[in-house]
Amino acid sequence: MKGEYSVPDGLYYTKEHEWVRVEENKCRVGVTDYAQNSLHEIVYVDLPKVGTKVAQMQSLGTVESVKAVADVYSPVSGEVVEVNDTLSDAPELVNKTPYSEGWITVIKPEDLKKDLPGLMRPEDYRSLLKEITEKK
Amino acid sequence: MGKKTQVYDYHKTHGNIVDYAGYDLPVWFEGIIPECKAVRTHVGIFDVSHMGRVLVEGKDAENFLDKVTTNDVSSLAVGRGQYSLLCNPGGRIIDDLTVFRLGSSKFLVVYNAGNREKDWNWLEKNRESSTAKMVDVSDDVAMFAVQGPRAGNLLRKVSHARLDEVDRYGTKDVKVAGQSCLLTRSGYTGEDGFEIYVWNASIKSPANALKVWNQLLADGGEFGIRPVGLGGRDVLRLEAGMCLYGNDIDEKTSPVEARLSWVVRLEKKEFVGKDAIQVLRDKGPSRVRAGFKMQARGIPRQGHAILFDTEPIGKVTSGSFSPTLGVGIGMGYVKPTFAKPNEKIIVRIRDKDVSAKVVKLPFYQRKSNDHVVVFGEEMGFKDFRSKYSFETS
Repeated sequence: MKGEYSVPDGLYYTKEHEWVRVEENKCRVGVTDYAQNSLHEIVYVDLPKVGTKVAQMQSLGTVESVKAVADVYSPVSGEVVEVNDTLSDAPELVNKTPYSEGWITVIKPEDLKKDLPGLMRPEDYRSLLKEITEKK
Repeated sequence: MGKKTQVYDYHKTHGNIVDYAGYDLPVWFEGIIPECKAVRTHVGIFDVSHMGRVLVEGKDAENFLDKVTTNDVSSLAVGRGQYSLLCNPGGRIIDDLTVFRLGSSKFLVVYNAGNREKDWNWLEKNRESSTAKMVDVSDDVAMFAVQGPRAGNLLRKVSHARLDEVDRYGTKDVKVAGQSCLLTRSGYTGEDGFEIYVWNASIKSPANALKVWNQLLADGGEFGIRPVGLGGRDVLRLEAGMCLYGNDIDEKTSPVEARLSWVVRLEKKEFVGKDAIQVLRDKGPSRVRAGFKMQARGIPRQGHAILFDTEPIGKVTSGSFSPTLGVGIGMGYVKPTFAKPNEKIIVRIRDKDVSAKVVKLPFYQRKSNDHVVVFGEEMGFKDFRSKYSFETS
């Protein structure tokens, strides 16, 4: 149950366990391996609508297991330009491959330069996870 | 660090521990979904040693229990039990419980872990001048639930007793792993099965409890047994349309509203809460408990508002994704006019209004080895499995 959580290089992270990958002028967003592991057995992803405007760390939707609900917070401010519709019928992809097929949404950022300093680098996020798991 | 049951060492090694009613208990072992499926198709074992259990003895015990609970204790034959309620004088529910008559003047009363102190004090207060003796055996007796269509096979293997020799809510003394146990054919899952009490197994010396737990797990292997945590327990009871104290019933709720009048014997001469319950029954409740099934994507949760069109008509008291039925289900209290099956309602899930419809409770019930009732419709278990693509992994 404990053990190591995957924290790929090249991504940015939030304290609330989202990841963001900068792809040219867009940001792909999902929840981390730690988040999916804590929720376990994800049965539903409440996706935002394309066109929704969000501010940094505002809720985009939820990821839900049988008994628990977790918000997905937007790592950056901007507009939702794509959502991962395959999760409607296969929410378990978030458990299986949180950093690839389990992505949740793509956001066109408003001002990435402003938002990036508020996010964590992989090494910082790894330290955060270490802190959390050592407390348990 | 909470209190620990007799088989905590097993939970610590195999499960994910959470705090529940002051106890460190497993929320799941392998996962809520496979655990629920094991109970619906094979057999599951639950540690419920945290529950409150009291022995009430003496020639006045029957009178005392008849006065303090809503069901008819005097009608219980030796070796029989019943579901019942403790109500306050205002006719609201203090707790739900089961009462078993173990001897002509000896009863076992079983209630919720979270209400142990409250119930004990309430019983003690209402005992008044009665000569009945009460002993809290909660920490001295281990209790496991064994539930599912293969529970009978497992019982046969561990004890040579036959489950079909025991009526529903009947009891039997059995030996498992050399230990004297009481078996009751009861449970909280909507499946057939039994609950087993290991008498000589206190929290301080848990060896006997572990022997029984391990024997049940080992002998259950060939029947597909899985240990089930609190998460699965809560989902299974919801699917079976059963109330959880604190969610669906509480001290603001009348049995009339909760649709539990079937365990309230108004023909009894007197019991605590009788007059108030009678008044509400004659007047008619302004809200009643109803079950509903989501008609679109979304999972109802406790506290969500229930609407008719745009008018708020109630709140969700229990809600979950149902692994058995593959859909969001819930219960809540609404005006009686909206509590009819097929009534279209809305559940406000965060900021989204999601359509739902009222369905008959229970959502799921086992009728026999090869028949189940789903949303009020009886069907063969095979048909059920294909209709609900209920894979057994």
